[in-house]
Amino acid sequence: MIDRTKKLIVVEDLHKSFGGLQVLRGVSQTICEGEVVSIIGASGSGKSTFLRCLNLLETPDSGRIIFDGQEITGKKVKIDAFRQQIGMVFQHFNVFPHLKVIDNITLAPVLEKHIDKEQARQTAEDLLRRVGLYDKRDEYPTRLSGGQKQRLAIVRALAMEPKVILFDEPTSALDPEMVKEVLDVIGELARSGMTILIVTHEMGFAKRVSDRVLFIDEGLIAEEGTPEELFEHTKTERCRDFLNKVLF
Amino acid sequence: MFQTIAAIWAKYGYVYIQGIWGTLYIAAVTVLFGTLLGTLLSFARLSRFRIAQEAIRLYVWVLRGTPALLQIYFFYFFLPKYLPFELSDRTCIVMALVVNASAYVEEVIRAGIQAVDRGQTEAARSLGMTARHTMTRIILPQAIKNILPALGNEFIVMIKEASLASIFVIMEVTTAFKTVQSATFITIPTLMISGMIYLAMTTVLSGGMKLVERRMRRND
Repeated sequence: MIDRTKKLIVVEDLHKSFGGLQVLRGVSQTICEGEVVSIIGASGSGKSTFLRCLNLLETPDSGRIIFDGQEITGKKVKIDAFRQQIGMVFQHFNVFPHLKVIDNITLAPVLEKHIDKEQARQTAEDLLRRVGLYDKRDEYPTRLSGGQKQRLAIVRALAMEPKVILFDEPTSALDPEMVKEVLDVIGELARSGMTILIVTHEMGFAKRVSDRVLFIDEGLIAEEGTPEELFEHTKTERCRDFLNKVLF
Repeated sequence: MFQTIAAIWAKYGYVYIQGIWGTLYIAAVTVLFGTLLGTLLSFARLSRFRIAQEAIRLYVWVLRGTPALLQIYFFYFFLPKYLPFELSDRTCIVMALVVNASAYVEEVIRAGIQAVDRGQTEAARSLGMTARHTMTRIILPQAIKNILPALGNEFIVMIKEASLASIFVIMEVTTAFKTVQSATFITIPTLMISGMIYLAMTTVLSGGMKLVERRMRRND
């Protein structure tokens, strides 16, 4: 299953402030290949910022991030090459409205990885079949529901063949009846062996699919462990408080 | 009234035709170079160079905060005095109009680009797309839909502002009115001819812009 010797992401003492507000106050963490890690915590605890630091959408103030053995936080790092290996799915989907569904998926592989157009199209069609959107391949995203847009965003990230996918609250902007179809896709991805980090408020889902859960509180990882350890045998007062307030 | 207009047109039509060419020339040069210069300025302002940002902010502040006519006077008196080569009056005035237009175009384009959701940039960059590709493939194609309608309005303003050249007796549609009026001492009909010419030009232009916009919005 998870190979503990293959460290995909190593984070060392990450700090980040916005203005005077300290959002991350020294986060360290190791993510291994094939691991599915859920990140939970209250709004404003720093969990999204932590995730966004991992592909440098936010630049950390200090600390190091080592991806697949190479430091990406140093100066003169060509970040685009690393980002190709780190997929990201956003709360608000951020699909490209001016491109057809299929072109949403093929654009980056063709432009940045110089993959042959026809081959990229093949891959995209296979991916669309996998998430049940093959019929929509020539539509524009405005014609898609929220759940469909998010599934498109997921396969758009997958088309780059990343080594890890970061999910930043992927179901928080969805209508309730569309949450399941998106979680099913993520769950399937988790079972397929993809390394996943997911910031989520879906506690039931986190419990089911995660290998490990991180509870972030006031910019620090306050507690971590297997879903069972964290949800059933909660150690810290803060985490217990938080879990008591959320619905499962 | 209609007969007077027809009679004036029959006799002095050629003056108005000259005026139309003059206005078209001034407007075309202003639209073309004003848009080019304004585009360059907006890119420079959106770049990371602090000095460029501040310089362009100052440039836009001055040009949008003073009357175009004053700017034309400035170019009219200043340029011939300090430039080492000869410039026609018309060139001085057109340059003033280009510079003036560029400030407005800069604002239109910058606002159009900034109106594209930040999430689009984040999505593109997180896929590993370069900053350049993100701009050319993701942001600009969406920004153009914000930019075009506003730019069309600027083009119409440019056509009308070409009339300022009449103060310097440069041939264009308002100068044509003044010429014919002083030859015939007939005011209202001669003025109406110029007005109708302007209306025709701006109507054609805004119709064209609407057509382009509709084509662009087909996918929304």
